[in-house]
Amino acid sequence: MIFNIQRYSTHDGHGIRTIIFYKGCPLSCRWCCNPESQSFDYSLMFDPRLCKDFGECVATEVGGITPGANGLIIDRSALLHPGKLTNVCPSRAITISGENRSVSYILEQVEKDRPFYKTSGGGVTLSGGEPLAQGDDMIQLLRELRKREIDVVIETSLHVPWSQIESCLGLASLFLVDLKHTDKDKFCDYTGGDLKIVTDNLGRLAAAGERIIIRVPVVPGFNHTYEEIKAIVDFVSSLPGVNEIHFLPYHTLGNQKYNMLGIEYLLEGLNRIENTELTGYVNYAESMGLSAKTGG
Amino acid sequence: MPNQWVCRQKQEDKIMIQTVITDKVSPRMSALREKVISTKPSVCTERACFYTEAYASNESKPVIIKRAIALEKTLKGMTIFIDAGELIVGNQSSQNRAAPIFPEYAVDWLPAEMNELDKRPGDAFYITEEHKKELVRIAEWWKDKTLYDRGKALMNHENRDLLDSAIIKATGNLTSGDAHIAVDYFKILSSGLSGYLREITFHHNQVRLFEQEGIRKDHFYTALTISVKAFQSFILRFHDLAIELANKEKDPDRRDELAVIASNCTAISERPPENFWQALQLVYFVQLVLQIESNGHSVSLGRMDQYLYPFFRSDILKGKITEEFASELLENTWVKLMSINKIRPWSHTQFSAGGPLYQNVTIGGQKSDGSDAVNELSYLIIHSVGKMKLTQPNLSVRFHKNISPTFMGECIKLIEKGFGMPAFNNDEVVIPALLNLGVEKEDVYNYSAIGCIEIAVPGKWGYRCTGMSVLNFMRVFLAAMNDGLDKKSGKTFQKGTGNFIDFNSYEELFMAWKQQIKYYTRKTVEIDAAVDTAIEEFVPDILCSAFVDSCISRGKTIKEGGSKYDFVSGLQVGIANLGNSLAAIKKLVFEEKKISKQQLTEAIESDFDGKEGEKVRYMLLNFAPKYGNDDDYVDLLLKDAYLEFINELENYHTTRFGRGPIGCRYYAGTSSISANVPNGAVVPATPDGRKAWTPVAEGSSPSSGTDVLGPTAVFKSVSKLPTEKIMGGVLLNQKLSPSAISSDSDKKKLISMLRTFFSDLKGWHVQYNIVSRETLLAAKKDPENYRDLIVRVAGYCAFFTTLSPETQDDIIARTEQTL
Repeated sequence: MIFNIQRYSTHDGHGIRTIIFYKGCPLSCRWCCNPESQSFDYSLMFDPRLCKDFGECVATEVGGITPGANGLIIDRSALLHPGKLTNVCPSRAITISGENRSVSYILEQVEKDRPFYKTSGGGVTLSGGEPLAQGDDMIQLLRELRKREIDVVIETSLHVPWSQIESCLGLASLFLVDLKHTDKDKFCDYTGGDLKIVTDNLGRLAAAGERIIIRVPVVPGFNHTYEEIKAIVDFVSSLPGVNEIHFLPYHTLGNQKYNMLGIEYLLEGLNRIENTELTGYVNYAESMGLSAKTGG
Repeated sequence: MPNQWVCRQKQEDKIMIQTVITDKVSPRMSALREKVISTKPSVCTERACFYTEAYASNESKPVIIKRAIALEKTLKGMTIFIDAGELIVGNQSSQNRAAPIFPEYAVDWLPAEMNELDKRPGDAFYITEEHKKELVRIAEWWKDKTLYDRGKALMNHENRDLLDSAIIKATGNLTSGDAHIAVDYFKILSSGLSGYLREITFHHNQVRLFEQEGIRKDHFYTALTISVKAFQSFILRFHDLAIELANKEKDPDRRDELAVIASNCTAISERPPENFWQALQLVYFVQLVLQIESNGHSVSLGRMDQYLYPFFRSDILKGKITEEFASELLENTWVKLMSINKIRPWSHTQFSAGGPLYQNVTIGGQKSDGSDAVNELSYLIIHSVGKMKLTQPNLSVRFHKNISPTFMGECIKLIEKGFGMPAFNNDEVVIPALLNLGVEKEDVYNYSAIGCIEIAVPGKWGYRCTGMSVLNFMRVFLAAMNDGLDKKSGKTFQKGTGNFIDFNSYEELFMAWKQQIKYYTRKTVEIDAAVDTAIEEFVPDILCSAFVDSCISRGKTIKEGGSKYDFVSGLQVGIANLGNSLAAIKKLVFEEKKISKQQLTEAIESDFDGKEGEKVRYMLLNFAPKYGNDDDYVDLLLKDAYLEFINELENYHTTRFGRGPIGCRYYAGTSSISANVPNGAVVPATPDGRKAWTPVAEGSSPSSGTDVLGPTAVFKSVSKLPTEKIMGGVLLNQKLSPSAISSDSDKKKLISMLRTFFSDLKGWHVQYNIVSRETLLAAKKDPENYRDLIVRVAGYCAFFTTLSPETQDDIIARTEQTL
C-alpha cells in the first residue's frame, strides 16, 4: 500500500525525483512528520475545519461515524473498512490515507517525469513508511525500474529483516539510511524499535559495498546534544565505505496530521530548530573525514 | 557581496575582457531610480493640445499629413528636460511618469473618469484642476471624431452588441491603438536618420501621381519626411538644452558630460551612431518618439544584446568605455524606460494591472548558424536589470538547447531577486514553428519577445503579434450548455444545439461547444477587421512605419500592408476552466453519474447556493481531474476543445491579406496579462466549481490552487497543448518561495527542470514569481513598507502595491509551488 507519489522532489536523492511513499512502518518515531505512514492499513484523517455536514460519510454506513451537536463524532475502534470512505467526503474533511496500487500503476506515474530524470540525473526514491517492509510488490517495482534504467534510491530505517534488504542489493544506486541514535534504550523509547537490528543491518549493507548516506533527524530532547551526535558520527565513520552524513533539523510541519489521525502527539510544544543550530555537528562530522551537510 | 562577472574569451581576437562588477548602484543611478519610482503618475495634456490644434487647423488635409504635422508640432513645442545626473536623455511628456493624452484614439472617457483618477484602487493618476478644464475642452472638439467612435460605427449591430456583452472585448484596441511591435534597430543603427531620409526621398521621387495609389503614396512619403525631420529637430532640442545646462553647470565633470550628451545628440540626429553611448541614446529616442506618436503599448526593443554588441565590443576593445560605465548607461536607460507612462480607461486598466508599458528587451537565443548568441553584453544587460529592479524593461531570455549553463545560472540569480524576471521564451519551439509559417531563415533567428511573451521578428512584423480581441471562453461554453443563450446578457447570439439538460452524452456537449465556438471565432475576426479598418483609416502611424520593413519601399503604412510579415493573435481567456469544466461533466455527470444533469444545472445557476449547491461544487472541485496535474483525461479534452477554436481561426485572414505581407493569418494566444480578473468578473458560475464573477485561470496556467502535483506535472500538462499553433503565447506563471531555490543544488535542479521543459517537452514560456505568500499578505496590508515589491502579474512585472485588491488576492491565491 502507498500513501503518496510525490513528483519534483529535490531533497531525497540526486537530481529531480519522484518519491513513492509506502504505507506502513515497523517504527513509530515520536517526531514522525508523516504519522499516516505508520499504519499498514488505511488511515482515516479528519479535519473538522473542512466539515460541511454533507452527511455522505454517515450514509456510507462504515460504522463509527455519527453526527454530533458539535460536528462529527468518530469512534475509530468501531470503524469498519475505512477504505470505503475514499473519495466520499466532497469537501475532503475526511480523507483516507492509503491506496492499493499495482506495480504497473506506479510505473505509469513514475514514467511521466522520465524526461526530467534524464536531464537532472534523477529518478525514483522509494520511501515511506518503510519501503523495505512492503513485501514482494516493492521488490517487483524495484526490479522493473532497474530494467527500465530508472535510477532508484531507497530511503529506509533498516529496521527490517536482513532478507528484505538482501533482495534489494545491487538494485539501488543509493541507500538513504536513517540513524537516529546509538543508545539502544533511548532509541527504543522514542521509536519503539530495536537498535541492534538497525546497526547490524547497516554494518552488513556497508560491507556489501552499497552506496550509503546516513541521515540523522536531530530532535531536541532526543539526540540534540554534542555527545549524542558525536556517538552517531563516530559509529558512522567506523563503517567501511560510508563517507557522507546529513543532519535533518526537527520541524513541526506534520503536527496537524496527528490531530487528524486521532493520535496523541508526544512532542507537543517542541519548537522547530534551524539549520544553523546544526553547524557544530557538521564541523565535527567533517573533522572525522565525513562529507556532511544540513538538510536533505 | 561583489558579484564576479567574467566575460568569456573571444576566440577570433584572443582578447580577454575580465571585469569585476559589483552589485552596488552608483549614487546618481540610485537617485534617478528613486526619483522615478517615487514620482506619482500624473496626466500631461501637452500632446493632446498640440494634436487637437494641428487637427483643427488642418482639417482639409489627408489624415496622414495631419498626423505628421501634429507630431511635428508636438515634438517642437512640448516641454523637454534633462534630469540631474542623466546620461541618456529624452522625455515623453512634461514630467516623468506623466501620461500623455492621445485624444484622437478616445477621449470622452477622460472627462467622465477624471475626478476618480486619483481614487482608483489601482493605477491611480494625479491631475490638476487646470488640466481637467483643458481636457473637457479637448474632449468637446473630439466628440464623434475619435477612433473609438468611428471604429464602433464601422461595426454592425450584432458585433456592437457582442462587444457590449463582454463575451468579446476589443475596446482596448480602439482606445489604445496598436503597437505590440519592435522596430528594426539593426537598420536604424546602421543607416542613421539621414539614411532613412535618403531612402524616403528616393522612393518619393518614383511616385506616379497620375495614379490614385500614387497620390496616396505621395501623402505617405510627405508625412514620412515631415515626421523624420521633426524627429531630428526633437533630438537637436536636447543638444541645445544640454549646452544651456552645461553653461550653467558648476561641476566640471558634469559639464563635460553634458557636452558629450550635446554632441551625441548632434551626431545621431543625422548620422549612424559611432559608439555605444550614442547607439543606446538613439535607441532610446526611437523608443520614446514611437510612444509619443502612438498610444499603443508593448513597443519593444528587440535583441538588444545583438544590435548593440558591435558598438559595445569596439568601445571596450579600444578602451573608450569601461564596463562600469556601460552598465551605468544601461541602468540609466532602464530608468528612462520606466519614466514613460500611459493612462488607460478604467475598463481597460483592469486588463493590464500595474500600468505597464511592456517594453520588452530580449537577450540570448541563437545566431543564424545555430550557435549560442550570448555575449558579454547579454551578461551586462541581465546584471544591470537586476541592479535596477524596475518593472521596465520586461526582460526576456531566449532559451535554446545549447545555451550555456553559466548564463542560465545568471538567469536563476535574477529570478532569485524576486521581481519576476527574466521570462523565458524557447527557440526550440518558436523557430521551427515560424519556419513552418513561412518566415525566412535569415529572419527567424532574430525573433524577439514583444510585450509580455508573444513573439515577432523586429522590424519585419506588423502590429499585434498578440493583443487583438479577447474571447471569453467560459461565456461561450455556458452558451453552449444553454442552447446558445448567453444568460449574462440575456441574448442568444447564435442558436445552439440544445440545452445541457437534454444532452445524453459528453459527445453532445462537445458538439454544442464546437458549434458555438465556430460562431464566436468568426465574430472575433469580424470585430478585429473593423478595428483594423478604423485604425488604418484614422490613426495611421508614420514613424513606426518608417522603421519597419518594407513600408518605405512599398509606400504603405504597416496597417496598409507595409510589413514583410503579418501574423496576429487575439487572446483566449479561461483555458484551464474550459478543460476542467469538460472533465468534470464528462466524469461526474456522464460516466460516474455522481451528479445529475439537473443537479449540475441548478447548482451553477444558483452559484452553488445552499447546502446542495455547495456539495455539488465540492464534488466538481475535488472529484474531477484538473488541468495542471499531468492527467491525460482532462489535458486532452482541453486540447481537443481548444483545437476547435484554433482550426476555425485558420480559415481567416487579416485586413492586409493580398496587400503585400507574408502570412496575414491568425494564430491562437493566451498571453492574457491580468485579463483573467475582469474576464472572470463577467462570467457566472462554471462547471469546474468556480464561483460566479471570480477570476478565471490566467494564461495557460492551471486554475488557482488546483495544480497539486508540483511544477513538473504543470509543465507536462501545459506541453500537451498544441503550442506550435498558439504562437500568440502560451503563458505559464509559476510562483516559488524564496527558500525554494536558496541552495546551489536547488538552483541546479531548477535549471534542469527548465531545460527539460524547453528541450524535451517543447514548452513555450515560463516565468517565476519568487515571493512568499506571507510577504504578499503583508504587502497588501502595509503598502507603504512594500513600495518596491515587484510581482509578475502575468506576462510582466508590476509593483504589487499599485495593483487593485482583487488582483492582489488573485496573485496570493495562486499556488505556491514548493520545491
